[in-house]
Amino acid sequence: MSIYFRINKRTSSSWLLSIFLPFISVLLALIGGSIFLSFLKVSPVQAYRGMFQTAFGDWYGISETIVKAIPLILSGIAVTLAFKATVWNIGAAGQIFLGALATTAAVRYFYVDNRGIMLVIMFLFAGIAGGGWAAIAGYLKARWNVNETITTLMLNYIAIHLADYFIYGPWKDPDSLGFPMTAPFPEAARLPQFAGTRIHYGLFIAIIFAILFWFIFRYTRWGYEIRVIGENPKAAQYAGIYYLRYIVLIMFISGAIAGIAGMGEVSGLQGRLQHGFTAEFGFTAIIVAWLARLNPISVMLVSFLIGALQVGGESLQIVMRLPIASTLVLQGLILFFVLGGEFFRNYRIRFIRGDER
Amino acid sequence: MEMVISILAAAVRSGTPILFATLGEIIIEKSGILNLGLEGIMLIGALTGFSVSLASGNPWLGIIAAFILGAFITLIHGFISITLKGNQVVSGLAMTIFGTGVSSLIGKAFIGKTIPGLLKTPFPVLNRIPFIGPVFFNHDLMVYFSFFLVVFLSWFLISTRIGLNLRAVGDSPRAADAMGLNVNRIRYLAVLIGGGIVALGGAYLSVAYNKMWTESMTAGRGWIAVALVIFAIWNPTRAALGAYLFGGVEAFQLRLQATGTSIPTPLLLMLPYLLTVSVLIFISIGKGKGILFGAPASLGQPYFREESD
Amino acid sequence: MELQLLWVNPIFVKKVIKRTNIKYNFFTINLINKERECHKEMNKWAWLLVLVVFFTLGSAALAFDPIPADDLKIGFVFVGPVGDGGWSYMHDQGRQAIEKAFPGVTTMYAESVPEGPDCARVMEQFVRNGAKLVFATSFGYMDQVIEVAKKYPDVIFMHCSGYKMADNVGLYFGRMYQARYLSGLVAGSMTKSNIIGFPAAHPIPEVIRMINAFTLGARKANPDAKVKVVWLYSWFDPGKEKEATKALIDAGADVIGMHADSGSTPQTAEESGVYVIGYNNDMSSYAPTKCLTSSVWDWSTTYIDIVKKVVEGTWKPENSWWGMETGIVKLTSFSQDVPGEVRALVQEEQEKIINGTWDVFWGPIKDQNGNEKVAEGQKMSDQDILSFSWFVEGVEGEIPVSQ
Repeated sequence: MSIYFRINKRTSSSWLLSIFLPFISVLLALIGGSIFLSFLKVSPVQAYRGMFQTAFGDWYGISETIVKAIPLILSGIAVTLAFKATVWNIGAAGQIFLGALATTAAVRYFYVDNRGIMLVIMFLFAGIAGGGWAAIAGYLKARWNVNETITTLMLNYIAIHLADYFIYGPWKDPDSLGFPMTAPFPEAARLPQFAGTRIHYGLFIAIIFAILFWFIFRYTRWGYEIRVIGENPKAAQYAGIYYLRYIVLIMFISGAIAGIAGMGEVSGLQGRLQHGFTAEFGFTAIIVAWLARLNPISVMLVSFLIGALQVGGESLQIVMRLPIASTLVLQGLILFFVLGGEFFRNYRIRFIRGDER
Repeated sequence: MEMVISILAAAVRSGTPILFATLGEIIIEKSGILNLGLEGIMLIGALTGFSVSLASGNPWLGIIAAFILGAFITLIHGFISITLKGNQVVSGLAMTIFGTGVSSLIGKAFIGKTIPGLLKTPFPVLNRIPFIGPVFFNHDLMVYFSFFLVVFLSWFLISTRIGLNLRAVGDSPRAADAMGLNVNRIRYLAVLIGGGIVALGGAYLSVAYNKMWTESMTAGRGWIAVALVIFAIWNPTRAALGAYLFGGVEAFQLRLQATGTSIPTPLLLMLPYLLTVSVLIFISIGKGKGILFGAPASLGQPYFREESD
Repeated sequence: MELQLLWVNPIFVKKVIKRTNIKYNFFTINLINKERECHKEMNKWAWLLVLVVFFTLGSAALAFDPIPADDLKIGFVFVGPVGDGGWSYMHDQGRQAIEKAFPGVTTMYAESVPEGPDCARVMEQFVRNGAKLVFATSFGYMDQVIEVAKKYPDVIFMHCSGYKMADNVGLYFGRMYQARYLSGLVAGSMTKSNIIGFPAAHPIPEVIRMINAFTLGARKANPDAKVKVVWLYSWFDPGKEKEATKALIDAGADVIGMHADSGSTPQTAEESGVYVIGYNNDMSSYAPTKCLTSSVWDWSTTYIDIVKKVVEGTWKPENSWWGMETGIVKLTSFSQDVPGEVRALVQEEQEKIINGTWDVFWGPIKDQNGNEKVAEGQKMSDQDILSFSWFVEGVEGEIPVSQ
């Protein structure tokens, strides 16, 4: 008597599964990670304990996790917006750079000694710069169907070099002894931080955007139209939605949010634009957006967790003396397991006996 | 003239790793699977190639080992994409992260070592042809192999039945399935072979080009390959052109600096990317609006044969 | 969370809309949303659950002991991988020298830490794990060093190659330019085409200073020598370094210097049959026959001295720029191709520097355009040397200009 198994697509998923699945996946990933860690001759229990302790155990760890999470939330929302319309914005990193550049330009050329006004100016500059950068790719896609994956990817590199040009050249700080960094921002141009921590007011912006976009996607006609465009452009056109305008608009807003993430990092965290500014979180944001299943509220939670993973991962280096690459391997493993777990959410395995086919 | 020849020769030299990665990715994408993990696979290929060459003293063993390991690693992505029908974008990104981490970890033991590697073997007769000779035929054997791959793949994808089956699976898995093709098996094969070729790109870097191993030595070439696949419209010959264009612009910019220029270097560094986008725009304007021509229609979507339940 | 789900089949609703051409409105959206969003709601709660569990585990983790305290704990922040065989590798060698010289000491390190806000967290983690002395080994950590130092006034921070001090922040660096000058003598003597190539990482004062010292040495031995500079804009890209070296060779160079962190330049030089002068570490493993010499770092004396002061309690914040006489920088042994009179010349100049009777950046020095920047008998101040933004005569290359 042979046993076959059949794979069926689920039409509705059990809500029990939906709650526990990510949890189980991460657990399995941690177990897989333990095997990996024991290869490195490190006690997995000690390693995980250290990671938890660093990221969640005390207020400093939590605050640093939040600091890490803020740009992830913002760029995660940016990417979520684009992905909902099935526009593959891989260029969040470049848009972040443009936002940081524009913020620096605003401080350099349009400085006003009033914090409130200055922040608004920087906000606008960063948004328009990041949005414009993304809109280039959007326009190319809408008008001539130039694939946006490649344009946004290329624009990333161009943005990085553009930033280098300004940092090494015209905007270099004369007081920095020739090192590639801009002059430090005056107090009025800095996003305030919560006393004692490095959490800056970008957190407010991130939370507001998350709630705002959650509301838009769920309750407004505009959010619905975005989804329709994403799933079926032809149906969208049938229902009277202007495809071209929407793509450019969506890319613009997506880029604007990413640009604001850049502004937050540069004016909230460091206070000047320095060579070495990384926009790596532009790529991590793609993973965040997917893990959060394109839900802005989940984006906040997932960003926090990924931030914790990065902060905790550092303790692997410092306390456990493991090379930093081990964090990367762990991250990769977690993703693989969660991806694998998704299978069980979408499909069901049925075992059938006998020769039934 | 000498300058032009040396720039073009450098273009071929430094474009080859990108070319391998692009060709491998073309095979994978033609079957409908999107693989963004090229950086990770190339790094694993580079590490394997270097370590096996070092241990065995034979660079070819290293290259073959890199192919095998690359295929094996890409299998993970293939399993997630084909059997588990997971999200291919994220799986690819996870592969990049994972591959970078694993190669960096295991590679620690190999930093600072060198191998004789693959030596330059001038092609006997062809390298005397004026201009074309020194540009194309004065390199090592892996470069010649990449030429062969380009020609072979162009022919394979268009003129053989297996190649046609591959394209059918990528364009319309449902129709291919109805025709009797085993969609999953063909996709797995494509992933294996494509992944191996991508790893060859990394192995070229560590065995033939730089003859050393350092962390993250691919320096973003995997991502450029992803872009080049689209740029090449999934055509192997155009992929070669794209890869050499990239390598060439970089070589050009360095020589420009060496001979003296006042153009700020960051602006020069932007050139390859600007050029790629411009060419792409020109092509797209020319072809007019329409679906993304050349793309396998089912790219990135998992195939699930509905069961009558 | 709405558990009272309206189990309306979304497909059916869409069909109704399409057929009767009803314009979608708030109500229908809600219907369709409910079905869809219930999954997303679940997803939210799923992640929340994960978070709660982690928090509980985190606070439970606090119940265990932290790292046991010991004599002295030292933290090192490295900008690159310790295995890079270059800058970070040499600092790590220094770290190991400390461990050997002071057996009770514990050292911790973090590698590949990006220059920017991340390193502040790394340094704080060191302090929180008990470090009383932190070494930040790259210029780009400057802002963060000052920031964290303010928070922990009883921890000593040493910043390499920086310029900001504080009550608990000291600076340390080595006069690598002296060794560079000596290696330049060798390069100038050995070049026949009078063109020396120099692939350089980034146009920052440190690199510019190296190129200047190198050129001054080359032209002392050979007044017709020229140094061509190509900027890589990367510390660590073997492929680019190779192509840059090839480009310089094509432009006529027959000796190559370098300021980058991988062994690709010497390797390429060896392949092309061109001489090379190494940097950071002995590069003759990459270029067995063509490496004339290398100017290398040796941080062990410096680090041991600093730790000794901290242990004894005699540490004071100061800017110590250690010179060649302490052994922090030196030349590796010459290759056999270097003739006797060149070796003698190097020896002679080296003695002048070590005795203090002369230094590299004492006048007269002219800039690229021929203008005299340092007069005869004048000495450049340390400040000026640290902030070099112009090339000396004989260098062909551009430095980005700031406004």
